[in-house]
Amino acid sequence: MFYVGFLTSSLALAASVAALVVVIISLIRKQTQLPGAAVLLVKVGFFAHSAAVLILMVMQVLQDYSNVYVVSVINPAMPWILKLTALWGGQTGSLFFWSWIVSLCVFMALTGKKHLFDNWSLLVVTLNQILFLALSLIADNPFTRVWALQDGSLVTSLFAPQAGAVVERLNNGMGLNPLLRHPGMIIHPPLLYIGYALYLVPFAVGISTLVRGSQTEHLLDQTRTWLLAAWVFLGAGIVLGSWWSYDVLGWGGYWAWDPVETASLMPWLASTALLHSLLLERRKNIFQRFNLLLVLSSYLLVVFSIFVTRSGLVNSVHAFGESSISVPLLVFMLFLLLGSLGLLIWRWKSINSEWKFGSAFSRDALFLYTNIILMALVLICLWGLIFPLLNGALTGVEMTLHRGFYDRSTTPLFALLVILMAVCPIVGWNAAQIKQIGKKIWIPLTIATLGLMAVFLAGVRQAWALGGVFIVVLGFATLIYLTIRDGKAVGLRKFASFFWKQRARYGAWLVHAGILLIALGVIGMGNLAASIEGTMVPGEKMPLRDYEIEFVSVRESFENPEYLTVSAETVLYKDGKEIARLNPAQHIYPDRQQYVTIPDAHATLKGDVYTLLAGYDVDVPYITLRLSDNPLVNFLWIGGIFLSAGGTLAATLPGTRSNREEETSATEKSLESTGAADL
Amino acid sequence: MKNTKNIRLIIGVGIIVAALLYLVISSTLSQSQYFMTVEELKNGQSELVGKNIRMSGVVLGDTIVYNPQTLELSFSVAQIPGDHKVIKEMGGMSAVLAQAAHDPSLPTISVHYKGPRPDLLKDEAQAIMTGALDEAGVFQVSELLLKCPSKYESELPEQSK
Repeated sequence: MFYVGFLTSSLALAASVAALVVVIISLIRKQTQLPGAAVLLVKVGFFAHSAAVLILMVMQVLQDYSNVYVVSVINPAMPWILKLTALWGGQTGSLFFWSWIVSLCVFMALTGKKHLFDNWSLLVVTLNQILFLALSLIADNPFTRVWALQDGSLVTSLFAPQAGAVVERLNNGMGLNPLLRHPGMIIHPPLLYIGYALYLVPFAVGISTLVRGSQTEHLLDQTRTWLLAAWVFLGAGIVLGSWWSYDVLGWGGYWAWDPVETASLMPWLASTALLHSLLLERRKNIFQRFNLLLVLSSYLLVVFSIFVTRSGLVNSVHAFGESSISVPLLVFMLFLLLGSLGLLIWRWKSINSEWKFGSAFSRDALFLYTNIILMALVLICLWGLIFPLLNGALTGVEMTLHRGFYDRSTTPLFALLVILMAVCPIVGWNAAQIKQIGKKIWIPLTIATLGLMAVFLAGVRQAWALGGVFIVVLGFATLIYLTIRDGKAVGLRKFASFFWKQRARYGAWLVHAGILLIALGVIGMGNLAASIEGTMVPGEKMPLRDYEIEFVSVRESFENPEYLTVSAETVLYKDGKEIARLNPAQHIYPDRQQYVTIPDAHATLKGDVYTLLAGYDVDVPYITLRLSDNPLVNFLWIGGIFLSAGGTLAATLPGTRSNREEETSATEKSLESTGAADL
Repeated sequence: MKNTKNIRLIIGVGIIVAALLYLVISSTLSQSQYFMTVEELKNGQSELVGKNIRMSGVVLGDTIVYNPQTLELSFSVAQIPGDHKVIKEMGGMSAVLAQAAHDPSLPTISVHYKGPRPDLLKDEAQAIMTGALDEAGVFQVSELLLKCPSKYESELPEQSK
């Protein structure tokens, strides 16, 4: 097993390096054709890489405890699905897995129908692919084995560290970190990685466009689907990670502005801006420079995010030490950054970029505002991550930025974004005036006012929450109103086919609806949530708003050989009536000296009543319980589903300009009479 | 015509940039926190009262006092180095924690926290605390994070070169 794994992974690296050499030779010879040998080599490399990943997974499932990675993440008690997915449960395996995802994306780009790559972009992707695979194999090889030396001590090494050493097969492994044993953690990393890796393709095409000095139309047409796919995967990954943290981390929060979270949000924000301004570029031929800048920065932010996650340099609290890959990764990141900047500056003048705007309330102006805000958010996140490092380097005093920094500086901007999003669909494309908006807006405005009154009557008095609900309902009502109007204009029977043809437009609306729902969840958690903590003996009750929770009993059981289950039985009352029985629990892993809280919640669309077992004693008995009322929290996840569905819908539209132009012009004609002409 | 438009644009962009700068600078000033060791905190005690501080130290098991009725928790932490390199030279975090917990010569500080006692709170655990120093010299913790030296960490074989 070891030899097959080691050889296939080495072959993958060798094939990629060979492909790079072929591409460079071809570039030196000034050939325009993509060399077939390079393409073949990349494909061979991908298959070898896939084989190596499979071997590692087989080793995990078969519990080959002579492999160091297997020892660190597997133990016999784990179910087979976790043994399989433990591939991305540890640093070593996940780096290897990430390098494979990059290979996969490159492979897909090469085998697709369209010819995305020329020599320059192939150079960029293979360079990236080689770097990540080399980092994995050289700095942290996943096939490293355990060796017993002659004096009996154990060391880890790929090959015999000294004469007389033998491979040692341990009896047992440590098992996967319990915090990662959650469905969210099984799918979250692959989604995130795929999202990250997909940004590489537009980046490569962007670099090649700059090097060759050709027009950016190519970039736009070819990479739209890739960008959207990347955006959907990354967005879904972020939402899943957030669900995991709400459900597992045991503090009932969904977002903490942890550096790793913040770093993953940045490329998503940048590419959100990019998706908007690409639309403007297509419709009005403006923003070319800005778009190139965004294409490049999206992937640069991905590399930065990987750096933040893996280097251990940012935020001293989260990491025990620097990892060995931080220096090469930093050098590579700076190389990409300086290279991209250099190219942009070199070609700046020659990129066609016009600046024409109608009124300050036209849709293109709103797009511009949106993008300014999105970029500002990216810069704030970047500052938040870099400030501690800068400050430490300049003054020698270690300082960090509290999450309050992000809350305080980003909340007004996110609020503005949501407001813009709510009114944007009402504003027409060309020189729209407020008067025009006024005519259309009365229906959604009325609905929003009704919604506001309903929430007010329900007892909500916080200004932020009231304003937020108003805006969200306004935006939602607008989208539904516009959809109904479209339906009326084309006729109900034709609407299905119209919807499909215009899926970029409806996809975008779905995404916006998703963001509005997420905003609702954020308002609920940020402004309306409440919680109480207390220690209770059996029969005792603890009140929170209309709810009351009664502690019945607590018991310990060894249902699973790996951990002790402590489960509390509680009864939840609302207005004196029993509505649910909740069993918040802890899984205690004595061998690891670690425990995982398993919250239990009474979940409805209105929100969660969420319980956490914070402490207990079976003998007394007592429990310490945290009871939270989290209104609207489930809209976070529902919004995430809308987001992914809308993005996917839009991504299925073929990216070539000619196809789309025909479709758009046809539908625009059919809508012109109603004034609903839109994307 | 074009000129007035440009001027308006510049003014608009200027206002936006100024607002953003204000937002970022004021948030940075009000929300930044010092990252300190026990020793640094002891040395600068008088000036640091009330400042937002993040501190890391090793929990001294004998000093833990907890009242489950009122959720009042207090204990002392002892100095551990803040620099990764120093920790590495001393043989890794687990070694540093084990040693610091039993070395009476190291500076210590009392901390107070209100909330359920975390299960990971025990002798030799690393506590990462956010809070502020009060007048009496007690570190009032608002956010308590604990890390335990994993039992297996030491059992994993060393990397050979």
